[in-house]
Amino acid sequence: MRDTFRGGVHPNDQKRLAREVPLRSFDPKGEMVFPVAQHIGKPAKAIVKKGDAVQVGQIIAQADGFVSANIICSCSGTVKAVEKRRIISGAMAECIVVDNDGLFTPIEGLGQEEDASSLSNDEILNRIQAAGIVGLGGAGFPTHVKLKPRDPEAIRYVIANGAECEPYLTCNDQLMREEPKAIVDGIKLVLRLFPNARGYIGIEDNKPEAITAMKSACAGEDKIDVVVLRTKYPQGGEHNLITVIAGVDYPVAKLPADVGCIVDNVGTLYAIERAVAHNEPLFRHVLTVSGDAVKKPGNFIVRDGTSFEELVEACGGLKDNVDLKKALSGGPMMGFAVGSLKVNVQKTTNGITLLGSDPAEKAQAQMTACLHCGRCTTVCPAGLLPQLLAEAAEAKDYERYEKKLYGLECVACGSCTYICPAKRPLTQTFKQAKAEITAIKRAAVAQAGGK
Amino acid sequence: MNMTLNLSSGPHVRDRWTTRYIMHVVFLSLVPAAAVGVCVYGLKALWVILASVLTAVATEFVFDKLCHKPDTWKDGSALVTGLMLALTLSPDTPLYCPILGSVFAILVVKCAFGGLGKNFVNPALAARCFLLISFSGAMTRFTVDGVSAATPTAELLAGRAVNVTEMFLGTSNGIIGSSILALLIGGLFLWSMDIIHGQICFSVLIAFTLIMGIFGGQGFDPAFLAAHLCGGGVVLGAFFMATDYVTSPVSRLGQTVYGVLIGVLGALFRIYGSSADSFSYSIIIANLFVPLIDTYIISKPYAFRRSALAKLSGEPAKPFLQRIPKPVVALTLIALIAGVALSGVFSMTKDTIDEQKEKAAWAAYQEVVPGAVTFEAVPEAQEIKGQIYGNDFGRVTINEVVRGLDDSGNTAGYAIAVTSAEGYDGNIGLSVGLTSDGTINSISFTELHETPGKGSLAAEPLFKDQFNGRSAAFLKLLKDGGSSKDNEIDGISGATISSKAIVNAVNAALDFFHSMIKGA
Repeated sequence: MRDTFRGGVHPNDQKRLAREVPLRSFDPKGEMVFPVAQHIGKPAKAIVKKGDAVQVGQIIAQADGFVSANIICSCSGTVKAVEKRRIISGAMAECIVVDNDGLFTPIEGLGQEEDASSLSNDEILNRIQAAGIVGLGGAGFPTHVKLKPRDPEAIRYVIANGAECEPYLTCNDQLMREEPKAIVDGIKLVLRLFPNARGYIGIEDNKPEAITAMKSACAGEDKIDVVVLRTKYPQGGEHNLITVIAGVDYPVAKLPADVGCIVDNVGTLYAIERAVAHNEPLFRHVLTVSGDAVKKPGNFIVRDGTSFEELVEACGGLKDNVDLKKALSGGPMMGFAVGSLKVNVQKTTNGITLLGSDPAEKAQAQMTACLHCGRCTTVCPAGLLPQLLAEAAEAKDYERYEKKLYGLECVACGSCTYICPAKRPLTQTFKQAKAEITAIKRAAVAQAGGK
Repeated sequence: MNMTLNLSSGPHVRDRWTTRYIMHVVFLSLVPAAAVGVCVYGLKALWVILASVLTAVATEFVFDKLCHKPDTWKDGSALVTGLMLALTLSPDTPLYCPILGSVFAILVVKCAFGGLGKNFVNPALAARCFLLISFSGAMTRFTVDGVSAATPTAELLAGRAVNVTEMFLGTSNGIIGSSILALLIGGLFLWSMDIIHGQICFSVLIAFTLIMGIFGGQGFDPAFLAAHLCGGGVVLGAFFMATDYVTSPVSRLGQTVYGVLIGVLGALFRIYGSSADSFSYSIIIANLFVPLIDTYIISKPYAFRRSALAKLSGEPAKPFLQRIPKPVVALTLIALIAGVALSGVFSMTKDTIDEQKEKAAWAAYQEVVPGAVTFEAVPEAQEIKGQIYGNDFGRVTINEVVRGLDDSGNTAGYAIAVTSAEGYDGNIGLSVGLTSDGTINSISFTELHETPGKGSLAAEPLFKDQFNGRSAAFLKLLKDGGSSKDNEIDGISGATISSKAIVNAVNAALDFFHSMIKGA
């Protein structure tokens, strides 16, 4: 096994702000907003309408096709509207808005213990699918799809991602400390689907308590190991985790399953265990509220649909002497900036980071011409040449960008932008280039189809 | 609640290093070398440094203002260029050199091509080469205690012994940034900070050492290699010039190729060229190859490299040695064999060559001391041999002083072999034959490559034979001819520099004879 992946950066992790705060369940009071598209794939179809009474655990939007996921209601109350609302990404998207009655009345059978050992593989998969579980690491890929690779026999590695390399975020650290047994049970459920696989729990070495907890939870499990990873961003990236644990580098065109790996966030594995053994679909998950602008940073088990505002209030609100400059859904490396706190938690929201100063804004003022210092090349975990990619993208030479420089291998981890002393917006340029290339290709396909 | 939150695409945090920070660290890493320069050479070195640095920053400032550019003069890159240029200059350079050089570096090489990150060659080096071409006299003036003296590298190229310890510490005469110790401290510091790429500086040094060892003619003699590594700006070039971000390749392999190119060119120029400044040129030439290297040597992402692809397809990767293309292996082998053969032949024939040289010298002695059958070295000359002689003759060295004996063992006369380094085109070597009372028998040239039709006329009887029979202790050069007295020599028209160097050399020989042999 390799010691670590090549490249990477060491941003100030700021985890001290919330790392020792235990998970706390938070029950919101205000209205709850559930976008029908919280995952990769087709948006779900709303199956409730204005005025319908809903309960905790109830499916309110049905998966539309295989690559889609159910949306589960996390409160009880009445559907107020099915309408367009502003969501985290900044777009207006169809959402189911529920008037929360504050009682959290569960649907019948919710939380009922079950003996998972008697379930067949198909039953496990069906439960995961029904529970609306998606990858909670941030991508939101429907988990039941991921767990059905073409050849289950070829899967050798089931990797639990507990790296949590994003600065500020500590909720997975807390989850591993508090629920190590459930996570290991989740891994065991997944391992049942893949007869030739072993389980690996990858944790960065800056979380010694989580490492100890997970190690003792899988003591006696001969098919599961804890892998201590060197603390380095983006260690939690799927590619980098596989590079270290399975020892292969693979192009983005391939899926982890193509190289014999299944990677799931520890939060996802916990959700799988809850869904399969406790009949609890995915309507709540762990989340960190942190940043230098918030009074009491903390870790929460939060219900989907909760508004950011309420969570910030639950942390004592904003610091009095700090002016909130930027609010992020997620951490500062790969998170999204939100325009206001009047947005709501989705399945994939693993953090809210509130910053009293905006380093990106400062960077813009410090921007100089590219020095060609090569720091971006050194840190790129994919082995790309960001300085040349940026030149090609700025010249709109997409042929060179894609074919000669392999620009589409960029996973937008942000390491190059982070390290750039000239403060050039490299990752941002690459995201745009990727979008444009995809659009060009789509147009070409459409044209070819039209002829 | 605040509704005007900043929106931007991630990442939202940045490393604290900025362009300015890097430039200032590089500047700082050059300070030890500059400090040693000022300590060794005195305030004159400080003036050169200040002139260069201030002009560089001022030039960029004026350019920014005139062209309404953002304030790029604050980013520290002009500071670095200015200091780097100063370190490549002699402390005796007149101040117009650093000033003009800095203006050239910033205005022509940097700003005219688009400013920071756009220059195609290293600005400081380009400026140095510009100055070398424009003011070759002023640029190669090196003095010790006010007396002009050859730099160790020039001495080395002339085949003379040098003091490597002095070169390493920077206490010998040379450019301001000639302290290898101080440069190494700065360079290794930058390397440890990951500011410069090790694959560039170390491949330069390794390639240079290898080529020097193989083709330098003295094999891998540590003293010889150390002297060459410590001289002629190799260390300054390898750590500070070659590693210039803008003018070095992007990929690691490209950087290694580029470093090797510099090392090989630098060593070959040193061996086969005549200039002590060849290292600057080798870096500039390699700079020009960078776009080509960047076009053809682009590293692939990790997932597309041979080992990863082999792992994905399940086939074992070829061992490293088998992956090297055959022509590369063949070429390397040929180069190694040829190099070893050459050094072998040299060391085998070295004695013969020395014998030949001695014979040639004896022939010259015989020519200028007629009647002598054997020669013996004059002991008085041992002390001053190979050093710059006196203050009044320019860069003249006395190489050998011999007494000629006739067949009955009586003194037939003296021959003094002298070399002037101030010829129009390199060294002029000659032997002066004297009778026992100090009258010149004749002179004979042993080394003369002056301009054909001008300085080369020195070897013609019209000029050369003027010296015959002169008994004056000091000869005076009349540039425009018309000599009438015993101590006057007519210059070669149109070749004043050559004439002056020759007369100086003869005068040095006369001075030595009168003060050390006749007078003693």
